[in-house]
Order: sequence, then structure tokens, then C-alpha cells
Amino acid sequence: MASLTPQVTTQVTPGTVPGAAPAPAPSRPGRPRRPRVWRGVVLALAAVYFLVPLIASFVFTVKVPNQGFSLDAYGQIFSAEGFGGSLLLSLGLGVATIVLVLLLTLPAAVAVRLGAPRLRPVLEVVCTLPLVVPPITFVAGISTVLRWGPDYLASTPFYQTMIAVQNPDFPVVLVLAYVVLALPFAYRSLDAGLGAIDVRTLSEAARNLGASWPHVLLRVIIPNMRSAMASASFLTLALVLGEFTIARLLSFQTFPNWIYRISGSQAQVSVAVSVFSLLITWLLLLALSSAGARQRSGS
Amino acid sequence: MRDSRTRSKSRWAAVPLLVFVVIVFGVPMLVLLGGTFTKEGTLSTANLTESLQGAYLTALLGSVKISALVAVLGGVLGTFLAQAVVTSRSRTLREAVLTASGVLANFGGVPLAFAWIATLGNAGVVTTTLGLGGHGWSLYNFWGLTLVYLYFSIPLQVLTVVPALDGLRPQWREAAQNNGASTWQFWRYVGIPVLTPALLGGVVLLFGGAFSAYATAQAMVGSTVPLVTLKIADALTGNVLIGHENVALALSLDMIVVAGLVMAVYLPLQRRSARWLR
Amino acid sequence: MNGARVEFRGLRRRFGSTVALDGLDLTVEPGELIALLGPSGCGKTTALRCLAGFEQPDEGEVLVDGADITRVPANRRDAGMVFQSYSLFPNLNARDNVGFGMRVRKVPAARRHARAQELLELVGLPSVGDRYPHQLSGGQQQRVALARALALEPRVLLLDEPLSALDAKVRVTLREEIRRLQLSLGITTIFVTHDQEEALSMADRVAVLRDGRLEQVADPATLYDRPATPFVAEFVGAMNHLPGLVSGDGVTVLGQTLPVEGRAPGTARADVLVRPEAVLVTPVDASGAEGDGIVMVSSFRGSTARLRVRLSDGTEVLADVPGHDSARFAPGTAVRVGLVDRPVLVSARSETGAAAAVPEPDVV
Repeated sequence: MASLTPQVTTQVTPGTVPGAAPAPAPSRPGRPRRPRVWRGVVLALAAVYFLVPLIASFVFTVKVPNQGFSLDAYGQIFSAEGFGGSLLLSLGLGVATIVLVLLLTLPAAVAVRLGAPRLRPVLEVVCTLPLVVPPITFVAGISTVLRWGPDYLASTPFYQTMIAVQNPDFPVVLVLAYVVLALPFAYRSLDAGLGAIDVRTLSEAARNLGASWPHVLLRVIIPNMRSAMASASFLTLALVLGEFTIARLLSFQTFPNWIYRISGSQAQVSVAVSVFSLLITWLLLLALSSAGARQRSGS
Repeated sequence: MRDSRTRSKSRWAAVPLLVFVVIVFGVPMLVLLGGTFTKEGTLSTANLTESLQGAYLTALLGSVKISALVAVLGGVLGTFLAQAVVTSRSRTLREAVLTASGVLANFGGVPLAFAWIATLGNAGVVTTTLGLGGHGWSLYNFWGLTLVYLYFSIPLQVLTVVPALDGLRPQWREAAQNNGASTWQFWRYVGIPVLTPALLGGVVLLFGGAFSAYATAQAMVGSTVPLVTLKIADALTGNVLIGHENVALALSLDMIVVAGLVMAVYLPLQRRSARWLR
Repeated sequence: MNGARVEFRGLRRRFGSTVALDGLDLTVEPGELIALLGPSGCGKTTALRCLAGFEQPDEGEVLVDGADITRVPANRRDAGMVFQSYSLFPNLNARDNVGFGMRVRKVPAARRHARAQELLELVGLPSVGDRYPHQLSGGQQQRVALARALALEPRVLLLDEPLSALDAKVRVTLREEIRRLQLSLGITTIFVTHDQEEALSMADRVAVLRDGRLEQVADPATLYDRPATPFVAEFVGAMNHLPGLVSGDGVTVLGQTLPVEGRAPGTARADVLVRPEAVLVTPVDASGAEGDGIVMVSSFRGSTARLRVRLSDGTEVLADVPGHDSARFAPGTAVRVGLVDRPVLVSARSETGAAAAVPEPDVV
């Protein structure tokens, strides 16, 4: 479902963050109150549909035949073979992706705001492409390149590069692919952050006081962008930790791929990991929305 | 003078990003395009033709069908839920639903499949508790997959539509009343037309999400439900006749075309909605 | 169209613990433009919304030409309303916005469009019919909203701070135009505003509201010259509070004894309320005797200049002098200060306190 994650995450910030929505309509208690039966029905049905799988999953993991309640399945997560390695790999990929995506998008976003507004449509298109192209088609292209590349490039230095990016201990090719998937969210949240601080005035003020351009970027813009950068990083991390399609089809043992692999042998443990990963997503998003709230209250 | 120097300089700051995208994204896409139209070393449309026949066509249509169903159902149900939340006076309920939607809209992939297997799979908690197995219940089919896809699609629709519903200014309703309109006339002439871009935009997003979903389907139904993503994965992992490897690329191109068409509908709508609901 | 008489009778409305309307009684004469003026939360908007039907009063009634309309639904009241801002339907162009009410009433399209065009011409926008609200400036949007409010030839026109979101310049031209239009149509108009300048310049009468009650209703000149209460005096125009001593034959302030307007408070020490233009200042010659105070700030406003003068006891006084004279009152100039010999309003000392002694100089 990595394909889904990107399209979804853009929607997260406006909805989840308190105060992001336009001010609610002034309450009008004067209007006659009609009983809103349909609202209750809708909310009740939604509660059943959304809560039952969560509760059932939990019950499934703690119910042991003939024994009753047990949290063993959760204990087994940590001792299961491959857990630590795959989680570390995913976290490492996440960090590398975050660093690369920020290095690429921050200068570009600042440039568009400051001096090259004509580049904006170009970047908009570049950042929409990964949304239009489903990840599975992207990976189809990548795997073809990786398969054909060595044949054509055997005699050139690129051959070694092709081999190196596929090192199973740290597959750089995944980082590259994830950067492409993360671009839309990183660019949008940075662009929104830049919009909120009025970079032009800030940088002109700093230039007026004699600061050099690198100084402006490092000392003026970046410190004011901390929460936008944090939100870009969180979205990227969530994306990398959940991405399955590309990792599986290129056969790298990332965390989501590991969950899938152990499900065959240990059903309870795999459900337990699923519950566990839902909790992680939850925490990431809470952190994200509180970062967003801080940014707003700060500005 | 200083301005033009800044301008030409700042353009360079975007170059690394563009170069990166051209190489990492552009090269695979070019290869995909080239591979689609190459069969045994010669230029040919045979792969494309094959990808639009038989089991491949069934899979492509299956994907379109389930995505369309999820998009419409999720769009309607999500809009009702959003309206219930927006018209409620409880701030707590609103925050709770929106936060939960943010999390659940991102709850996809393999973990989502396992949560539902634990609930309504053959040995699932609800299945065994209610004895659904005896009534011929199975999660592992088209409708089961639809049920599961809705689990992230409805929250996504809620997140898309709530800002639009919030953007319906109370003045519009009052101005309509002031001009003699009934509630129904307000919705007919103003409310629904204003919301339509956002609603359709949400439906398009849901379509795209379901259309490109792979992990959930792979973990849940394997290949019992024909889906184009599963077929591509099969072909990529070598599960294909010798000499037909490039069908996976052709199928990918089919997908991109469908997704591109859907996006072509979405973007103008998005722009219009943003303008109206400033 | 001919104006209707509007009566508010004993209107009460509370929202939770706050009282928005606390027994409002007000009659608006046919064809009159009345401004409801007051600070935010004084109930002026609630009163308007009760008339439009968006609010139900808890008690009291609203009458139009003698008929009680308190329980009539909002969409069947004969009152056109212009909202503060952003009230145009974003999905309809200007012509369809104006024609909305006629569309709801199933008026044929050709007649509807012709009438909408007439109305757009009436508000000075003959060529914007095809434009959508987001293509119009704020001032144009409000003109279209005005045309929409007039489209059904209502008997009452309601304006809910329609100018508050506009630029100062647009605000002035548009208010003059609203007034011109209102006079030519003779339509009874209720105008809600918190801007006293707007109220004084447009209205036949101004009703000052405070805490849901009517404080005073009078024509602008009376309101300004003879405010009925210290609150009104304070709210309308700039006002000096000078310490004074009340005695049998008047009040002594700055060494002058002046007659008291209205009722004097029971206490001996009191605040004397004096408008800046009623304060007389004369520069002291370099050779001459000591002055009463020193000019601290002088702000030039064209026809007048407003001085902030600090008296030797520390009290600050605002005084207006003719604009062409302002050069004689540069900051630092020592001046003699006196008052025009005219009855003055006096309020109990405790009510305002010394802190409020000097209003901001940029208040008119």
C-alpha cells in the first residue's frame, strides 16, 4: 500500500491539526433544533466499522486456545528472527531518505519563492508525477533498468555503481526510489512553511544587514523552517516504514516485507506486529500534528 | 542588477532536484516505455496488445471495477460521515474523528490485511464468534477486498471533504434564505455545486489509492481476485512465459494511462475548488 | 418601492450566559436610514439578525408596518440583507448572484437577466455581469451584494457592517453611494456599524447600543453635541476628561466655572467631559508669562491639527486648532489653555478613573 501512503499523507495535515480548518460557523442556537437522528446513526455505524477490526485484532493476538489471555505474541515480536535487522534497515533507509529529500527540496523550494517563480509549474509537475505513476509501475521500470543495465554497462564504471546500489545490507536503490515517492509531500510541506514565514522579506532584511546567501539560508531560513522540516521528515519516515511494493519486488528485507514473510509461519505474531505498526503510525502522526500546531501558534 | 543576479543564481538551486528526478524517475520510465514497445529486440506493439487480452485484460478491468466501486462507496459514505462531524457542535468529536481519520487513511499495506484477516478471515475473531463460516462467509474475494479498501478510503474522503464543508460559509446559506430560497433550493443552487469539485476530487483520490494498492491485496487474496497490480508483480517475479517478460511493462503503461486520465480529471477540479473555498 | 416602518419591541436574546439583547425598543420611520452603533457585543448585529429572521428573540417582537413577523421564516421576510463580506455565491457570476432570488421564484431567465443588469447598472457596475466573485474586488463584491439585496424590491434594507472589510478609500465612496441610492429609492434602511464616523456621516438617526440596550437615539448633530450619557459622549468622537469641582452654580475646571449640561453627579469631585474643539489654546510669547502647559505632540489633519498638551499638574488635554495655525504649536511650545464658555457634561469621578483621562489622539 505504499502507493496509497503518499496520496493520503497530503491530506493529513489540514484535517488533523486543530485550528487548521477555517473558523467554525458561529453557533446559532436560535434556530429551531431538529432532532438529528441520521447523525447518530452515521456515527454509530462508523464507530462499529472502524473499531471492530482494531479490537478484534487485539483479541486475536492475546487469545490462546485453552489458555485464555496471553501477551506472548507481543513478546515474540522482539525475539522473532529478522525483526531487529529489518527494523534497523528500514530506519536507516528512512534517515537516508529524509536527508537526501531535504537536501534536494529545500534549496529548490527557497529558489522558487525567492527568485525563480517561473520554475514553480515545473516543480509542481515534477511533484505530481509520483502521484500519477503507481509505485508498482515505477518498480517495474527500476527492475528492468537493474536487469538490463549490467548487460549494456559491463565495460563501464557504471557497472560497479549498478552493483553497489543493490547491496542488500543497505540498498541505495531503495533510498533513491523513496526520495522520488517522498518528493511531493516534502516539497509541499516545505513550500507551505516558506509561505508562512515570508522568506522574501526575511532574506531581504538579512541581506540588508550584510548577511551572505549561505548565511541567510543556514541562520535565517532554516531556523524558521524547523517545524515544516519536521513535518516533511515525519511524512517521509512514515512512508518509508510502510512501503512494501518496491522493497518486495526488488527483494530487500525491509520491515514491511519482514512482516509479510513471517505471517506464513506465525499468524498471531504477524497480527501483533500489525497492531504494533499501527501504534507507530499513530504516534508519528500525533507528533506531526503537534509540530504543526506549534508552528501555527508560533507564527 | 542585484535582482537579476539573484534570479539567475537561485535558478541553479533547483537543478540538483531536477537532475535527480530526470535520472531516478525518468530513466526507469523511459526504459518502461521502450520495453513496452520492444519484443525480441524489434519494435512492436505485441506486448501492448497482449496486455489488453485474456487474463491480463480481466485483471485490468478487475482493478478498474474495484477501484471505481471503492471510490463511489467511500466517497458517499465518507461525505456523510464528514457532514455528521461538521454539523455536530462537539469540538471533541470533531478532533477525535479527524485525528483517527488521519491515522486510518494511512493504515494500509500488509498490516491492514492482517487486521482484517484476524477479524473476518476464516479463523477471525468475528467469524468464529458469530459462526459466519457456516454461512459461506469468505473475506478472500472481491467484496471482502472492497470492505477492506473502504477502511482507508472512507477516512481519506473525510479528510478531503471536511475542509470543503467547513468552507461553506454560513453567509451563503443566510443570503440564500434572505433571497427567499428554501433549504433544498440552497443546496441545489449553491451548496452542492460548490462542493462538487471537492467531492469529485476526493473520489478521484480514492480511485487512485485503490487502483495502485498492491500490498493489501497481495497479503490478503494472493491471486484469487484478478488485479492488475498482482499480475504485474507476478510477471516481474518471473511468473511468466519466456519471451513475455515485457508484458509487465505494457501492463504498467496501461496503469499509468488509466491513472493519468483520472488525474487529468482531478487537477482542474482541485483548482476550481481551491478558488471557491478560499 | 416605498419604505416600511420597523419596530423592535422589548427584544431580549441571550446566548448561554451572555445577554445580547436586553429589552431593545426602537422604531425606525419609513424611508429612514438608521445606524445601529456600538462596541462589539452590544447586540446591534443580533437585533439586525432578529429582523432578518436568522435569530429568534427569546422575548419581544419585531413589527414591519404593524405586522408581527417574529415567527415568519427567514426566507419569507421582505428584507434584503448585505453581509459583512464573502456572501456572494462563489459558483455563480455577478448576474446570477443578483438574479438568485428571482430564480428561486421561477422568474423566466430573460426577464431575470434584464432585471439583474438593471440592478448592476444601479450600483455602478454595468459590465461585470459575467464575472465570478473571485474576479471582483472587495468593493465590487459588496456592490453586487447590494444589488442582490435590492433585487426583490424589499421593504427594508439591512446592512451588516458591509464596509468593514474594505479599504478606507473604497469605504468612503461606497458609503456615499449607498446613501445616495437609499435616498433615491426611499427604502427603510438599518445599518449596523462599529465605526462612528460611518454612522454619523450616513444616517438620518444613530442609535447607540450598549449591553443590549438602547443608550440614545438621535440625529448625528444632537448625538455629538448633546450626548445623553457619558457612554455616548465617550463613544462618539474624542473626549477629554478633566478633573472638576461641582458647586451650586456649575462646575469649576481649569480655573473656569461653566454651567452643567443635564444632571450633575452628587459628588463634588467630578470628570468634566470636553471635546477637543472646545479647548482653546494660545501660544505664550517667548517674553511673556508662564503658560498652563506644553505641547507634547501635534498631529496635522488638514483642516485642523490636534494637539496633546501636558498641563503643569500632569493632566493631558487634547485640543484642536486650525490647520493653518499648526506651525505656531510645534511640540515644546508653551501654551495657555482655556475652555469655550458653554454648558459641559459632567460624570462621577469614579466611573472612568484617571487612567482614561486622555483618549487616543487619532480618534476623530
